[in-house]
Amino acid sequence: MCCNHSSEKETADHNIVPADLRSIRGMSFFDPHVHMTSRTTDDYQAMADAGIVALIEPAFWLGQPRTGLDSFRDYYSSLIGWERFRSSQFGIKHYCTIGLNSREANNERLAEQVMEILPLFINKEGVVGVGEIGFDDQTPAEDRYYRLQLELAKEAELPVQIHTPHRDKKKGTQRSMDIAIEHGLDPYRVIVDHNNEETVKEVLDRGFWAAFTIYPFTKMGNERMVEIVRQYGTERIMVNSAADWGISDPLAVPKTAALMKERGLSDEDIRMVTYRNAITAFAQSGQIDEADFETVKQIDQSGRFEGNSILRGGQQPRIDKSSIIIS
Amino acid sequence: MKNLSSLIESIVYRNLDPGARDWLTAKAASVREETGGTQLALAFTAMPRKTGKKDPGITEAEQQEAERDCKGLYIKDWTLDRLARVWLLMQADPADKNAYLKKIENLFSAAEMNELVALYSALPVLAYPEEWRGRCAEGIRSNIGIVLDAIIHRNPYPAEWLEEPAWNQLVMKAFFTDKDIRQISGLEKRANKALSAILSDYARERQAAGRSVKPELREIEKLGGGGQ
Repeated sequence: MCCNHSSEKETADHNIVPADLRSIRGMSFFDPHVHMTSRTTDDYQAMADAGIVALIEPAFWLGQPRTGLDSFRDYYSSLIGWERFRSSQFGIKHYCTIGLNSREANNERLAEQVMEILPLFINKEGVVGVGEIGFDDQTPAEDRYYRLQLELAKEAELPVQIHTPHRDKKKGTQRSMDIAIEHGLDPYRVIVDHNNEETVKEVLDRGFWAAFTIYPFTKMGNERMVEIVRQYGTERIMVNSAADWGISDPLAVPKTAALMKERGLSDEDIRMVTYRNAITAFAQSGQIDEADFETVKQIDQSGRFEGNSILRGGQQPRIDKSSIIIS
Repeated sequence: MKNLSSLIESIVYRNLDPGARDWLTAKAASVREETGGTQLALAFTAMPRKTGKKDPGITEAEQQEAERDCKGLYIKDWTLDRLARVWLLMQADPADKNAYLKKIENLFSAAEMNELVALYSALPVLAYPEEWRGRCAEGIRSNIGIVLDAIIHRNPYPAEWLEEPAWNQLVMKAFFTDKDIRQISGLEKRANKALSAILSDYARERQAAGRSVKPELREIEKLGGGGQ
């Protein structure tokens, strides 16, 4: 008994079974906020398998503060270059938003220089907005660069993706919206991110898009998300993972869809908050064509067999994860 | 190149709606006049928004004409935005060498994926071809599939201008990334001993790993005077 019990425990500890996503098989998902730069090819594969057909990677803080302009330049270039290619390898259409994040807005010497190169990037193909911008500490510097970037977005006729602060969230969110209105932005072109039960009502009432980040421990859990949709419906609501270099889940969108289905939400409602609404909001950039979701898959197929650094000559495009043999 | 420019112009223009035509005409005029690169950068970036990415329907006769004007140039499988971007680059005034090099270099340094494809496709038609050797060698180091394709497949620039080590890198990279070797321009002309030796080593390495060796490898090996 004792031994049996312990071996069962072993199994529970070591044999982690992937989440069952069979109930949502065949559905397509759009994750409008995920930092793929920080993720592995295994994540890309799992996302493609779970039905994610397209995503948006907002420019953000890399964890390690940047000390020079070229670090920003190379990062922006990677979002429209290397990362976009990496994503295409898995048949996932990659878009991005470009901006100076709030944390690094506090390095004013550098922030000034970054503002000068942003116009080089925001009009590039596949750039669907200015983001993620907004407040972290709510300092005067953050205020300044948030406003400057709102002006930039207005001029470029691009949507804005707003990061709302972790600390003093409610006031920070209100202030972000106030400033956007003050600068003459149409709330329908502004996506307010990282909402929760305390912020959602005002965001929707004022005509903005409300994005919810399903992120373990610190942001929303998806059971709470189900309740939000029950209470507020699906209009202007979208779900994302914001998966990054922290403990986060790049499958948060499909998992939330599976949970919604299990809890009895309609397929149409699920589709609105995990696919359609994000496209409607960010397609205002003129940069999203749903036909490309299919094209990227075709390129992917030929690309794989023509080879590249990730999937080099002769190697099978898919690794057999159940085998200890690596050939 | 003047003929090539008007050939590409006619192909591009017949594919555009009147609004896009006017836009491109105005942009091209300001690109021709400016010393700095602002107008070029703006129009180059905006191109797919104005032209779309369709197949411009280049005829066999047009392809041959392009090739006559710029040996080995293959434009038949280019999308409209790629063709229009290359044409726009041809409008930049090369009279002031430093200014010209700088404006093109600036495009490279902030380019997205499809822009890189157009830039590398344009290498054979840019002014001061000897100045783009370093850029081309840099492109060969890219691991972005479509960017590499633009340099390796049916692009006459590398065989014409690269120095031997960079050329050999290109051929090796093509094998290493499973490109279609027969689409490399100038393979015979640029065969050399050092390349043969590298290929022989590579073939042995693959055999030791139990992997297959492409028949093309043996052909190039022989062309350079090596092989069994």
